[in-house]
Amino acid sequence: MDGQAQQRLMATYRDAWRSRGIVAWLVSIGIVAVYVTLYFTDVLDPPAAAIGLESKWFLYSFVYSAAMIAGAWSFLRRHGNSRYQRVRTYVNVGVQVLLGFCVPFAMKLAGQKDFYLSYFWPLKIDYLFPTTLRSLPVYLVLYAMLGSLVAVPLLTIYFGKRWYCSWVCGCGALANTIGDPWRHLSSKSTAAWRLENVTVYAVLALAVSTTAVVAGNQFLGPGHGAFSHFASQLQHYYFLVVASVLAGVVGTGLYPILGTRVWCRYFCPMAALLGLVQKLGRFRIAVKPDMCISCGNCSTYCEMGIDVRSYAQSNQSFTRASCVGCGMCAHVCPRGVLRLENRWPIQGDKKQQSLPVVDF
Amino acid sequence: MRIVIVGNGVAGMEAALGVRAREPRWSITIVSEESDHFFSRTALMYVLAGQMSHRDIEPLERDLYARARFDRVRARATGVDVNARVVELAGDTIPYDRLLVASGSRPRSAAWKGAHLRGVGHFVTLQDLEWLEHEVHGGPSCGGRPPRPDAHETPIAHGSPYRRRQVAAEARRRTARSALVIGGGLIGIEAVESLLAAGLTVHLWVRDEWFWPLAIDRREGAWIAEALRSHGVEVRYGDEVEELLGGDDGNVRGARSTQGAEIAVDVVVIAIGVVPNTEWLAASAIERDRGGGILVDAGLRTSAPDVLAAGDCASVPWPGGGHRPEQLWYTARDQGRVAARRLLGDEATYARGIFYNSAKLVDIEYTAVGQLASGRDGAADWLFEERGRVRSSTRIAVRNGHVAGFSLLGRRWDHSVLGRWIAERRSLAWVLDHLTEAGWDSELVPPLVVPPELRVTR
Repeated sequence: MDGQAQQRLMATYRDAWRSRGIVAWLVSIGIVAVYVTLYFTDVLDPPAAAIGLESKWFLYSFVYSAAMIAGAWSFLRRHGNSRYQRVRTYVNVGVQVLLGFCVPFAMKLAGQKDFYLSYFWPLKIDYLFPTTLRSLPVYLVLYAMLGSLVAVPLLTIYFGKRWYCSWVCGCGALANTIGDPWRHLSSKSTAAWRLENVTVYAVLALAVSTTAVVAGNQFLGPGHGAFSHFASQLQHYYFLVVASVLAGVVGTGLYPILGTRVWCRYFCPMAALLGLVQKLGRFRIAVKPDMCISCGNCSTYCEMGIDVRSYAQSNQSFTRASCVGCGMCAHVCPRGVLRLENRWPIQGDKKQQSLPVVDF
Repeated sequence: MRIVIVGNGVAGMEAALGVRAREPRWSITIVSEESDHFFSRTALMYVLAGQMSHRDIEPLERDLYARARFDRVRARATGVDVNARVVELAGDTIPYDRLLVASGSRPRSAAWKGAHLRGVGHFVTLQDLEWLEHEVHGGPSCGGRPPRPDAHETPIAHGSPYRRRQVAAEARRRTARSALVIGGGLIGIEAVESLLAAGLTVHLWVRDEWFWPLAIDRREGAWIAEALRSHGVEVRYGDEVEELLGGDDGNVRGARSTQGAEIAVDVVVIAIGVVPNTEWLAASAIERDRGGGILVDAGLRTSAPDVLAAGDCASVPWPGGGHRPEQLWYTARDQGRVAARRLLGDEATYARGIFYNSAKLVDIEYTAVGQLASGRDGAADWLFEERGRVRSSTRIAVRNGHVAGFSLLGRRWDHSVLGRWIAERRSLAWVLDHLTEAGWDSELVPPLVVPPELRVTR
């Protein structure tokens, strides 16, 4: 039966593993260790080979999918009464299992280069590198280019960035399944918001410039000494720092401490770009006027650290660039104040408030 | 200009913020006996349940008082000398040019024998929360991260709703395993939910024949009772407490009803309503009504010059005559905003409009708009109980040919649209034709479809 009232978050803070107790730190250290081992050693290659997988990356993909399924099961036990959450979780798991594991696995079996259909530029900046494009069959070149540059922004205009960040993206899906028990830990402070604005757009700028420099270098071809060297160093450090450390080690490893979606909130260039597009589009969180009792469940359970309550208290429907549209604010609201909507603003809508910061 | 605000709740804070936004140089003093920081009283249950932390229920960052230059006085106000224009504290006074009294509500106390036993209390104040946390959890409701205590403690007078309670669990040397909640209102059901979350066996005794008969009819009440029972609550409707039973150690150990039911419990939460927290004004020349509410006009002015009152403690003019306090979060917020403009010297009036409220009753969401009390027998009401993918109940009260009220369970609705229809005196047939326009269900939830046989012809 479809229900809208959530009933399964009580005792969240009673569990030490969900409120930065010792177990939380141990889990965090464990995830960090796994990512460090994965990215910086070859220790995982033999076990991958032992179960018939070509590389540690397929083993990682397999474990990733398994963790997501386990997380989705536990998430649905808590929030499966909400149809939005239920359908969204099914789609997340389906996309991961199919496009994140089965299809690349089959491509590899067929002797092709594996390709992850659920990722786009600038989350995977190498998808627009000329060398990558040259190595792909034509249909995948079209998919990567039209997908990244046309379809993704267009869908974001129509549905908000949630269609990607909360329904398709593997990083978001991991956060919203296995990472969901820690969503309340994301900081709601103004300081965290300021930090996020610096880091997320810095990584976006880095992603765009790295793509441009690497692509430029590949177009120019060899023989541009200093520039070639710079391009290869930039590419090396981008993948080391952004794709390995920030996305994996920090972005996932610190879920139990900083709350889920650390990567999406502070570092993901795709989230940053789609956030800017989202501000121009139809998606918004609508606030039912004068019904909010300021309990703050929405803010507490916002994984992106948005102070939803401040908008609800001021009767302000809003679109925030960072909002991934997971729908949890609407689900946890005991008064049904919030609703996710896709619709162009109509005349008479109040001018959208920029920020809830109280300043004097 | 010296502004003094007694009360650190939503009415007081809205007023303080409103004044500061326009007058950066005025002195603003906030007197609070209860807490250092503004918090949402509506979320106390979520802290007890472990769903939110103490910090989560503070809507504003803690440096607000410093940034906004609010002087904060942690003390009990003991009176107002309206001639000398001072607020009296125990052993001190604060002079004011304009005063706002926003001291809120206190729990209604019960006269039953045993009501003062250890382990018996209310669930209204921050101190009540701390008491219950100790009774059911043996400490803060936070697993890994205990709450940061308030910066300073304040001595609390006897008889204050903010006094610390003795904890029966400490004397008994174990936390409570069972609880009795008395009262069929929102605080009662919130206490029930958070005690259930703590794993206690919970009894709920409601004097009325069903839960919240002021707004809910018998059939809706039956559904709520069903939901409560499905969560394991021992619900007892239509019975009253005769006596709370104590042991030799001074702890509560059970309760007996007037109908002779007797249960053993470790803790008792009395939730039989709230009354204006104004007895500290008894000796002051500020007029109050019989219930203790401070009488104000539509401009929130009291009988004393330059003294305003807002929020739960204010008895405001009611549409249709008389004065009554409104004990709701958003009315307190709105009154605080009106009070801010009055403190600034503007003309501003408070008007409630058509009544509405909402609640979450265990796992059923509830919206009420307009006049419902007179439809208690259900005779003139249109009712549809939906039992499909969504379970819901839609009741529309019809008076003199037009729609007068809505009582809605299980689905989300936009009360502002429903309220407009009541104001426009729409007919039942018209409302049924347009009902989906007022829907506020989450995405993907199938919309309410009224079966053709329940349609009404114009």
